[in-house]
Amino acid sequence: MNPEADRRMTEDFLRPLLHTTWKFYVAVAFFGSIVLAGFATWGYQIYTGIGIAGINSPVFWGFYLVNFVFWIGISHAGTLISAILRLVNATWRRPITRCAEAITAFALMIGAMFPLIHLGRVWLFYWLLPYPSQRGLWPNFRSPLVWDFFAITTYLLSSLLFLLLPMIPDFALVRDKTTGIRSRIYGLLSFGWRGTPKHWHRLESGMHIMAIVILPIAVSVHTVVSFDFSMAVVPMWHSTIFGPYFVTGAIFSGIAALIIAMALLRRLLHLEYYLRPIHFQNMGKLLVTMSLLWGYFVFNERLTVWYGNESHETGVFWATQAGDYAPFFWTMVIVNFVVPIVLVGIRRFRTITGTVIASCGVVVGMWLERFLIIIPSLSYKQLSYMWGSYAPTWAELTIMAATFAGIALLFLLFSKFVPIISIWELKVGDQPKIETDQPLADAEAEGELA
Amino acid sequence: MKAIYALYVKPAQVQRAVDDLEAAGIADAQIEIVSSEPFEQYAFGQRDHETWMPWFAVTGAVIGFSAIYALMNYAQQAWPLNTGGMPILAVYPVVVPLFEMTMLGAVLATVATLVVTARLGRGGGLYDPEVSDGKILVGVTNPSESDIPAIERSLAPAQIKRIQ
Amino acid sequence: MQEEQVQQSEQNEGYRWGMAVDLDRCTGCEACVTACHAENNIPTVGAEQASGGRTLHWMRIERYFEGEFPDVQAKFRPVFCQQCDNAPCEPVCPTYASHHTEEGLNAQVYNRCIGTRYCANACPYNVRFFNFYNPEWEKPLHLQLNPDVSVREVGVMEKCTFCIQRINTAKIDAKANDETIQDGSLQTACVQSCTANALVFGNLNDPESEVSRLARSPRGSKLLDDLGTEPSVTYLNRETWHESGSR
Repeated sequence: MNPEADRRMTEDFLRPLLHTTWKFYVAVAFFGSIVLAGFATWGYQIYTGIGIAGINSPVFWGFYLVNFVFWIGISHAGTLISAILRLVNATWRRPITRCAEAITAFALMIGAMFPLIHLGRVWLFYWLLPYPSQRGLWPNFRSPLVWDFFAITTYLLSSLLFLLLPMIPDFALVRDKTTGIRSRIYGLLSFGWRGTPKHWHRLESGMHIMAIVILPIAVSVHTVVSFDFSMAVVPMWHSTIFGPYFVTGAIFSGIAALIIAMALLRRLLHLEYYLRPIHFQNMGKLLVTMSLLWGYFVFNERLTVWYGNESHETGVFWATQAGDYAPFFWTMVIVNFVVPIVLVGIRRFRTITGTVIASCGVVVGMWLERFLIIIPSLSYKQLSYMWGSYAPTWAELTIMAATFAGIALLFLLFSKFVPIISIWELKVGDQPKIETDQPLADAEAEGELA
Repeated sequence: MKAIYALYVKPAQVQRAVDDLEAAGIADAQIEIVSSEPFEQYAFGQRDHETWMPWFAVTGAVIGFSAIYALMNYAQQAWPLNTGGMPILAVYPVVVPLFEMTMLGAVLATVATLVVTARLGRGGGLYDPEVSDGKILVGVTNPSESDIPAIERSLAPAQIKRIQ
Repeated sequence: MQEEQVQQSEQNEGYRWGMAVDLDRCTGCEACVTACHAENNIPTVGAEQASGGRTLHWMRIERYFEGEFPDVQAKFRPVFCQQCDNAPCEPVCPTYASHHTEEGLNAQVYNRCIGTRYCANACPYNVRFFNFYNPEWEKPLHLQLNPDVSVREVGVMEKCTFCIQRINTAKIDAKANDETIQDGSLQTACVQSCTANALVFGNLNDPESEVSRLARSPRGSKLLDDLGTEPSVTYLNRETWHESGSR
């Protein structure tokens, strides 16, 4: 539309792809070594046995499952921001959709590894898959773990495609702006994209359908993750509220993660012009909304258990309210509920810094929430003779650190090879509005021949 | 492929050139427009708007649903394990895989339709790298000799480029 | 649904194995625990692992104290797999490693287990155990392993089987002699070792068997009956458990 603005935009977004400083290599080496340490730990665990983790009887699920639920939750950022805002055509979404979709894809890849990491005999993991075997054995379709497999596979494939499709026009741009082998690689990735009206329409219809389909998928995925717990007759797991409670928490933590990622990209890639305070304010408002919704669910869950005073559940309840796990519980309430409402709810604090601080708190708080859902219930099951406790070991902590380093590494590499902001969508956002009733007349008036 | 094309800066110019080409009797299929962003607000951006994609998505969903239902039905009846008096093929527990595979069917069908109907991945076609600088390309592929003066008149006053 | 289930079990012409535990007889000597370890090749994990909660006792004696000092009374409750008719561990297993047999047992197929440990979490009785490492027996203890029972490797769940190896042997013998298993002739390792005769094992489909008779006793109750798991084990007790020490 405006060649000057277009050129500047192209330059701004291609700069990270074309110029690499030593800092990038240092960061990749740093995060890469942590990720390698994680893989080494996993290898050692496969070699010696899962006993190097802190799990025991009765707490058979520990940090691995906490991290699984946590990362699947983080992955809900992309769907909410991208699909909902796409469907309601909110224009301010344009600079943040790709970042959100990338978080979804990467968090899912990381989250989906945990069910494998936590398996006792991971080398037989393929028995979870429905494949024809000579013994005629199929997976048990009644098991929530098999549901997990279906839900996560569907979500991972759809969100990867949802991320990749709008990247095609940008790959074509990079193809034209680079030379040699790089141009050839991006040429392959751009699938022969030219940009005819047909291309654009098909892409937009495709994205529209995907946005409609991916929303129920995202809701179902975290509901199914919650079914892993709520299907079992374990105190305070066996609850009908878990589906919506988990989905809310997932979107909540996803928004927080997205705000943090946006702030980092803004600072590191100098995108201040594109990621403006308005984006952080709007996202901050979403964060507070989800915080209130989350608080409402926690209140519902706790009040019914306390009031019902059912003997099996009181053990778990009081352990989290006033017992061993109480410090974690009250920290969670403060960082998930009080801090966001103060920092984002009050206009004076609703700065970029304030929103990012609140988001960091929420990420910590939501991690604690998953911990508080899984561990206390297993520690205090029905028979008090078998009550137990749990503490993580170095193996679980290393692998957990590796996942955080992993998402940082994936993001570093992603921003090195792909424009982190959807350039063509931003250009569309810059088009001046013309009256749709009379497009031609206005166009004539505006555009004298050069 | 032979082609005549010109590059424009403003979409209004593109609209005028396209209108002139159509007035000169050039077939729609021969007129090519290439831009680095969609122009939904202009008539030329509305070309090739119709698509059956939503119906292909529904078809994909139906296929996904049927396939997983057939698989679960077969898998659980083929070796009917005693489940403590519970039904072998229960409704509630299979709802989740049914739902997920239905949705996956819709997604894959959408992407497949996109790639096939937009003829992505075929390569070729009229293109100029300057499009990436924000220029909009209008051209006519394989023009008949008799049409060339009219085409050149329509594309003027922008600089005419040719592919022999 | 439940009525349907009970009917199905009663119509089953074969065996349906069950156990009765007389809490009034149990002395808490733990001979059954030892016998179970010996019979079923259950590994011991050592002091360090045991303190981390990783012991494998298919059978355990839960010890509860009632009353205030000095008027204290210890009560014992042997707990092992309840072989539920409506078992929470079975539907959650993704690979059918945990499944139901025609004789009402919750079978655990070790070779099919991939170690999700979901069954152990779902089990309200906490009677499923996990091999956190490959089991080891110090020499010469490896020579006393029971050849009829497979040794489980790392990453596999295991649990009380009602000594299925003995059940199968008895069934083969009975079939060879063209008769059914006589009540009392088949005993699991724990029943065999119980000096106080607190444990009784037998066929619940036979209304004349001792275990059936005890299951109908007014002293009988099921553990965590309110969860609806329909256990095959009946606990016999003169008074309810929660009346704390007031005689």
